[in-house]
Amino acid sequence: MDFMRPTFFFALAAFLFAAATAAATAAQTSLDVTAKRVDFFYNRFIVTADGDVRVRFSDGTTVSGQTFSMDLKLNRFLIAGNVHIDGPTIHQAGAAMAGYPDLNRTFFLPVGEVPVRYTYFGADWTNPHAGREQPGDAFNFPNLTGERPYIIARGARIVPKTNVLFSLPRIYTAGIYTPLPRYVVTFSANPHYFENAFAGARADISVPFNGSEHSLTALHVRNDEFNGTYLAFDQHFVWDRAYVVFGIDPLTQEERQYNLIAYNRFSSQLESRLFLQESAAQAGIINRPDNAAGFAELDVNAGLRRSGISYVEDNYYQYLLGFQPGTNDTIPQINYDPRWREHPMNASLTWTGFENRVTKFIPILFRLRSSIGLAHDAYGEGGYPNEQPGPPDSRFQSVGGTFYTPTLKLGGAFSISAQYDRQRTWFNVPHQIDAAETRLTLSRRFEKLHTNAFLTYDVRNTNDLWGAAQLAAYPVGTSGCEAGGNTCVNQFGTFSGQDAFRGQATSRGLTAGTVFTPSQSFTFSVQMAHYRDFPLPVPGIYGQPPYQLTLDLRVRLSRQVQLDLTRMDYFNFANERWSPGFGIQFSP
Amino acid sequence: MMRRLYALLAAVTVVALALPSFAQGTLVRYTGQLLDVAGGYVYFTTGDAFKLAPSVTYADYDTGKPTTLQPAPKIFARAILDPATKLVVELDLTTRRLATDSAYTPEVQGAVATQQTTARAPEIVGVRVTGREVPVEFIVTVPPSTPINANVYLSTDASGWNPQAIKLDRIDGQRYRAVRRLPSGTRFVFRVTRGSWNSVEVAENGLEPETPHQFFVREVDSFSYPVTVYGWSDNRANAPQGAQPGAIPTPFNPNPFSGGGLYPPSRATPPGGFPTPRPGLPNRPPR
Repeated sequence: MDFMRPTFFFALAAFLFAAATAAATAAQTSLDVTAKRVDFFYNRFIVTADGDVRVRFSDGTTVSGQTFSMDLKLNRFLIAGNVHIDGPTIHQAGAAMAGYPDLNRTFFLPVGEVPVRYTYFGADWTNPHAGREQPGDAFNFPNLTGERPYIIARGARIVPKTNVLFSLPRIYTAGIYTPLPRYVVTFSANPHYFENAFAGARADISVPFNGSEHSLTALHVRNDEFNGTYLAFDQHFVWDRAYVVFGIDPLTQEERQYNLIAYNRFSSQLESRLFLQESAAQAGIINRPDNAAGFAELDVNAGLRRSGISYVEDNYYQYLLGFQPGTNDTIPQINYDPRWREHPMNASLTWTGFENRVTKFIPILFRLRSSIGLAHDAYGEGGYPNEQPGPPDSRFQSVGGTFYTPTLKLGGAFSISAQYDRQRTWFNVPHQIDAAETRLTLSRRFEKLHTNAFLTYDVRNTNDLWGAAQLAAYPVGTSGCEAGGNTCVNQFGTFSGQDAFRGQATSRGLTAGTVFTPSQSFTFSVQMAHYRDFPLPVPGIYGQPPYQLTLDLRVRLSRQVQLDLTRMDYFNFANERWSPGFGIQFSP
Repeated sequence: MMRRLYALLAAVTVVALALPSFAQGTLVRYTGQLLDVAGGYVYFTTGDAFKLAPSVTYADYDTGKPTTLQPAPKIFARAILDPATKLVVELDLTTRRLATDSAYTPEVQGAVATQQTTARAPEIVGVRVTGREVPVEFIVTVPPSTPINANVYLSTDASGWNPQAIKLDRIDGQRYRAVRRLPSGTRFVFRVTRGSWNSVEVAENGLEPETPHQFFVREVDSFSYPVTVYGWSDNRANAPQGAQPGAIPTPFNPNPFSGGGLYPPSRATPPGGFPTPRPGLPNRPPR
């Protein structure tokens, strides 16, 4: 059977390549530009070409000239200087040609005895419509004074409103132009070209190298703390109302994940999304894995009258491979735990109402919700957080709602908002969880100081209610603390009063924040939160740090680069007086 | 007698001062950017052509001396026209960007060789924009289920749909804000995220919006663009986000009872305990 796997992957690769190529050739409108030099200005989304310019349209018509420019956002182009149009129905020389695909017009200045303006409709080159009005700036060159090209290439294939594929590009990176064989810049208004199923990473440099009207293929150079630096791959197929993404992440490490996302918008009121993932430990991409697990998630969302319903189903396939000779599902292995059930799943159906107003005279809004769901072998036997065996099936239903006010202006620059949320969830194992949250926020705008400030008080209650069995369900002692009892001693200190917790927890949080924005290029924000929780947190076991500080500084270094510095601190928690975390991000 | 002498002197002075003007007054000038020189005409980016005189000369724009610069697309030029013949007698060329004449004088208009347009084009509409930067304020109202410390971003087509392209700042209990200076004429397209494509805004009915938010930056001093987010794709039920993992001990405890409990214990424990982590622990889509 081992030969089947490489065969399968070769077949899959061939299918993806063929599909991408087919999608590429299926493009209805494109411009293939070759010239001595093609430049791309990223911050202006403008492509220019100079010297022996030749542009081939997807209908086979070619236009040659001395210079070419195209504003990708405005979707218009210009070819000027000794222009020649040649096609099955046209052979025409002129001074300049301007294309406006959105207007379905081409404006042309032919060279002849008497200068005249021609306007062609669509791809009909037989009727020049002489003397027709033309846009005043149709033949204007873009002003690129002081701009540096991001890409310098020998050719470009432009799919209007979608992407540009540059051949033999040199890309401006950290002060130098780095050569690549191909590179695709996608500027589509459709964000689905950029969705994938990769896990989070510290760094991700995408190198899209193939693209067409409906496809995009990319390699990624990534780095994370588990895999180090590695390559990943993704293939996108995108349409107006659907997309499919296939990805391998990592591509070059032994523990790979094969991901597939498929989304379809059936109508304005119905959509579905399928996510499939196989996690495999395999020496090489065509080797038989030593271990493999699968995951599938299906989302179906439908709009109803002033509400919506959502169905979510998760399926886990914990052990996709057969057992080794001499073993079975009751024998623990180094890589197999017999408590893991083969096929856990969970599903829920949720109804959510639209925003409603209590009365038109009272500024209180509300939204209601309810759900039903089940979990089958959700964690596997013994896989619950408390390491106790659980039921094979768990069913639940919930009802909840949120009441809230919009932001209400008080006197001066003050405003206030409030909200209250309550949800009760009933389980077939006879208990119920009550969750409530109350939040009040006071805010003020300091106009002269360019500053906004807010203060929020938030109370959360989570009660796991077992009725008469409450004390048996939550016996005295600290859950997870080896010593148990009223006092928990661990490497972080001694924590007492644990007997008081019998299944009902409360968190009170006071958060203050301020944002100073003197200009668009500079933002400084501070957020400080203090939590008073019951039960008191036990570091290393449960609970959150009682004091949390977040500082964020954003400075625009240039038109292209913004620096975002973030620092977070946790105070007086787990032997740490200061537990800083830094974040640095450069973004356009 | 003296009066006549003074009057004659004044007249001579006026004529002498005016002579150079009269000399130049026979020529008119137009400055613009070239499209091409072909077929005996020079074409400017206005789309209009002017006929070249047979003896047209090419000169350097700054020195007025003969130049090696050839008339070509993108070159800036000053055309000197003879209003009598309506021909271009001299083209002064430079690669330096020049302020181009925004309108023709009557003399220049009279020298345009291109045939007048005779048919209207109703499909050509719109207002002329200068591209000057306009401060745009984004005010995003988030659903009440959004955690107080959540980060909210705008993702735009101009930034490759990076889900963390523009970070917003919370200004009160329900609203976030950011200001960006955008050139007038820009069509700005965006979606609101909480930092990833798995936590993107959804419509009030829980479905993805069919099209992103978009607007056209008008030629105004500044403007505000309000957006209301009704839900997030990772929380379509709009329930408050749960407490942080581990914040509360055993919030879901299906088999709490000691002494065997409702369900049987594990079947076996391997020497050295159970392996960890599980093989290929399934991942959720990207966060």
